[in-house]
Amino acid sequence: MRSLRLAAVHVTSMHRRLLALGGLCVVFLLAASAAAVFLKDEHGDVHIDALFLVGGYPAASALLLLGWLLGHLPLVAVLVLLAGVISDDRENGLARLIAVRPVSPIAVYATRFAVLATIAFVVCAVVMPAFDLLMLGTWAGPATLVLILAYVLVYGGLIAFLSAWTRGDAWLALLLAILAIVWAAFDRAATLPLAPGLARLVGFLLPPQPALFELENAFAELQPIPWDAFVYCIGYGGVFLMLAGLSVARREV
Amino acid sequence: MIVLEGAGRRFTARGVQPVEALRDVTLRVPAGSVFAVVGPNGAGKTTLFALVLGFLKPTTGSVSVGGTGPRRWARTRGAAWLPERFNLPAGWRVRDSLAALARLEGLGPAEAGTAAAAVLDHLELEAHADKPVQTLSRGLLQRVGIAQALLAPRELVVLDEPTQGLDPLWRIRLREIVADLRAQGRTVLLASHELDEVERLADRAAVLRDGRLEEIVELRAGAAEGIVYRLELERPIDLIATAFPGAERVDGGADDGGGASTGRADGAVDGQRPGGAVYRVRVGDAADLTRRLAAVIESGGRIVSVQPGGSGLAARVRGGGAP
Repeated sequence: MRSLRLAAVHVTSMHRRLLALGGLCVVFLLAASAAAVFLKDEHGDVHIDALFLVGGYPAASALLLLGWLLGHLPLVAVLVLLAGVISDDRENGLARLIAVRPVSPIAVYATRFAVLATIAFVVCAVVMPAFDLLMLGTWAGPATLVLILAYVLVYGGLIAFLSAWTRGDAWLALLLAILAIVWAAFDRAATLPLAPGLARLVGFLLPPQPALFELENAFAELQPIPWDAFVYCIGYGGVFLMLAGLSVARREV
Repeated sequence: MIVLEGAGRRFTARGVQPVEALRDVTLRVPAGSVFAVVGPNGAGKTTLFALVLGFLKPTTGSVSVGGTGPRRWARTRGAAWLPERFNLPAGWRVRDSLAALARLEGLGPAEAGTAAAAVLDHLELEAHADKPVQTLSRGLLQRVGIAQALLAPRELVVLDEPTQGLDPLWRIRLREIVADLRAQGRTVLLASHELDEVERLADRAAVLRDGRLEEIVELRAGAAEGIVYRLELERPIDLIATAFPGAERVDGGADDGGGASTGRADGAVDGQRPGGAVYRVRVGDAADLTRRLAAVIESGGRIVSVQPGGSGLAARVRGGGAP
């Protein structure tokens, strides 16, 4: 693990991003705590109707937005932590300092990716169940962890690949995520203005939002984990991680 | 050690004219030598180093290091490299960065700490070891750059503008560092605009212009017969031949030894005072030079400057040809 120390130095220099992510998590938990303290019914649930009566439309909307954002916390965490995971080194010259040393750059970046992805996973694995426990008095169990892992692999792999080629990696990944969410919504409503084959191809290339939706439903409705959807997400992320590795190995620095 | 055969590198970008950064360069750098690459800005020095270190692939010709591809060499043997504008990511602290890079050199955790401490001590950076790199001055950052290049004893050492930002004291220290590398039999590639430094440090120098190799200058030719200096006096003196037997006047003055002249009306070369005289003299060592200069002063000579200058490298880089 020769690259671990370099990854550690990299993480310690990311304190601003870590603080920003931590701040967002604190907002989630404070909102959940406030809602739980003031609005819980006799069964321990927070009802949106009660919130509407207390704070009107803005309060209800804010909690709905927070809930939606929380469901996408793994995406946010991955975007914040993995932005520039490879491209920053090309920009500041570190990639060349690594390239002259007798070490595989793939090992260096794989270690860094693993460390950052683990941090993203752990942060989400703490905050999401805590939010559920505060609001609902229960949590979705392993489905939460499976959902987080799927998001981290899908978007982590995508950002790593994009980062091997461009500095706009996280922005592009965010754009693709939004496109995939919109595309999947249209697809479910069967309103895509494309030939079915072409629509399937675009859906195949975009991040696997239908599979992630399945995992989100299992998480939200306490249903059994759809393992086929999880395996698809692993495959999608894995392909992009391999492409990222190939790009790092073959590209000029 | 390093062989370039007709190596060229062209950069292309959409909407921009292609740039031939390096064209048809053929040269050999023997193992254990100090080889300089000189030339004006944009001559292709950094591109040449990027090819030798495997950062870039040649678009024409070939490059090999130790009989293998440059990238393979770096992956298996490693290379010491000081980039032209050394930097580290903001927020990285000097000691941590050096220790982390030492780990990439293949050293264990304890050895990496020891190696980092050793180079911090060698480059006198101990007082700055726990500072973030963005708080360092240009000169200190350059010393950190030199420190990271010396973390492990690599056979190939590439220094791109190593004196940049260094104060005069550290320029002298850098000479000592390069002399040590030479003594250890390392192959040193060096680029610098400081031609005096190049003449002091290198065995040979490749002069690049517009991406082409113009010539290779032997800087140590005749080193056995002594070290050559360029001596400028306020005015010519008759006793110069007594103090420095074999001294040649190279400014086109009355006792011209056949050297280059700028053709100026006052007979002076660039940077020379009007009415002055410039000689190329040969001495055994620094003590010999001091003794002979003392003789010049005793005989009434007024010394304006003394510089290493046997090869006329400056004139060649300026495009004036050999002196």
